[in-house]
Amino acid sequence: MNHAIISCLHANLPAAEAVLNDIDRQGIDTITCLGDLVGYGPQPNEVVELIRKRGIATCQGCWDEDIIDGLNACECSYPSQLAERRGHLAHQWTDDQLTDENKSFLASLPTSLRRDRLLFVHGSPNSQHEYLLPDMDAFAALERVETAGADILFCGHTHQPYVRELRDGSIRVRLQNADHGNDQGEELTLPMRKIVNAGSVGEPRHGSTNATYVIHNDATDEVEIKEVAYDVGRTCQAIVEAGLPKVFAWRLSHGFEFAEQAEDASHVCER
Amino acid sequence: MRSHQGKCGYLRLDGYPSNELEQVSDSGIDKAFLKDQFPELIDLSGSHHASRSQQGDLLTLIELPQFQAPQHAGITGMDPRVKNQLEALQLHPDRYLHFGRDPELPNKDTLEFKKLEYFSLSLKASVWDPPSLNTLWFELVNGAYGDVYRAKALMNLPDGRSMFFNWIVSQESSQFLPLEEISAPNGRPASLSELVVQGKHLDGLRIQSTIDLCLLNDAVLEMHQMPLRDRQKEAIPST
Repeated sequence: MNHAIISCLHANLPAAEAVLNDIDRQGIDTITCLGDLVGYGPQPNEVVELIRKRGIATCQGCWDEDIIDGLNACECSYPSQLAERRGHLAHQWTDDQLTDENKSFLASLPTSLRRDRLLFVHGSPNSQHEYLLPDMDAFAALERVETAGADILFCGHTHQPYVRELRDGSIRVRLQNADHGNDQGEELTLPMRKIVNAGSVGEPRHGSTNATYVIHNDATDEVEIKEVAYDVGRTCQAIVEAGLPKVFAWRLSHGFEFAEQAEDASHVCER
Repeated sequence: MRSHQGKCGYLRLDGYPSNELEQVSDSGIDKAFLKDQFPELIDLSGSHHASRSQQGDLLTLIELPQFQAPQHAGITGMDPRVKNQLEALQLHPDRYLHFGRDPELPNKDTLEFKKLEYFSLSLKASVWDPPSLNTLWFELVNGAYGDVYRAKALMNLPDGRSMFFNWIVSQESSQFLPLEEISAPNGRPASLSELVVQGKHLDGLRIQSTIDLCLLNDAVLEMHQMPLRDRQKEAIPST
């Protein structure tokens, strides 16, 4: 059966509506959302209410968490002073706009969702703030999936959709035993695991302005990354009318993120 | 200039506006960059220096902002108004280098500019957060604050370096050149720091407010400079 995974809606209502319409057209009725319903974009209440109205199973993203718990960023959150200050500005604006009811909804979201051997998180099983970048060290990536007890880990947060298969791995451990004067060795063959990143609905970062999401078939394990065009101009107009920085609209209309993000694939989030 | 054995001089003349194309007043960026590369460079901008231009071995680079290439090649194509400016300074040019357009640029620009306005900002004593500078420059030359025809700057970095930034429309990428002189890690640098932008529909207020988000305050600058001072102390052998 096909099910859809969406992530990082970032208060972009036209993008969220376009993606949900695309999913509906395919007759898919199981949708999982990996969080970041709000942040940077101009329609935080509208997007939260759309997800609530549709009853979409959702886990909490880093922006959703920050709105509830306040900012407490690790260095991986902002790669520059400019990005940090823009992020704080957007945080404050979103905090001012969101209704108490919608904040309560964000606070109620779990940090992960599990269906059998499938695990759904925003960033990584460790933290909503940790980036599982596509070129992350393979051993570290496998460790994230394996210790979470999943066969397939669905995540978002990077805004770059990708499918990464971790296979043909092995670890050889050799123990020097002084008492017995011989080496004891063991080789572990690692099982195949998969990381699927759904990209971003509201703030895509894959070289185009199209929203992305993922369809997974849980019988065949086939994964399809889908792109959906939406009315970017409508969102940009709403950004300007909301009084958010105009540069957010410019960046979105050119397929850039609102504020750039760290790209150090070796960084481990310390939050 | 690098291969010239004798002394070198530099003179920048004022250009002339053309229709609605507005000339930028001299920010001193080019002179400061050349002076850094050639510390012995003689600045011929003041008339009192004009007599020095008569020295036989002096190679003088004369820069003139202009929007169109001259109708005739070589010295004969020179604008008579420029000739008059030079004669007043007792300068008689013997070579016309080039119009100023790099040969790799297309003849037709990727953006059309029939009207040019300019924005300039003194950044004296300002020090940038380097990744923020990277973002600001990217946004600036790609049109986030209006269509940019030309952008040039000298910017200070927290490690004491100063960088020359240079961009022209149709060019694939910017030129970034470090200056030779490095400021001591003691507070704010005194070297020239300026940003000049030519283009259309430039939103100077938004450029300024974005720059404000990119500059380091005293406390953060000190965090950068303290380890540099410590390293300098370690490098000096005790007596």
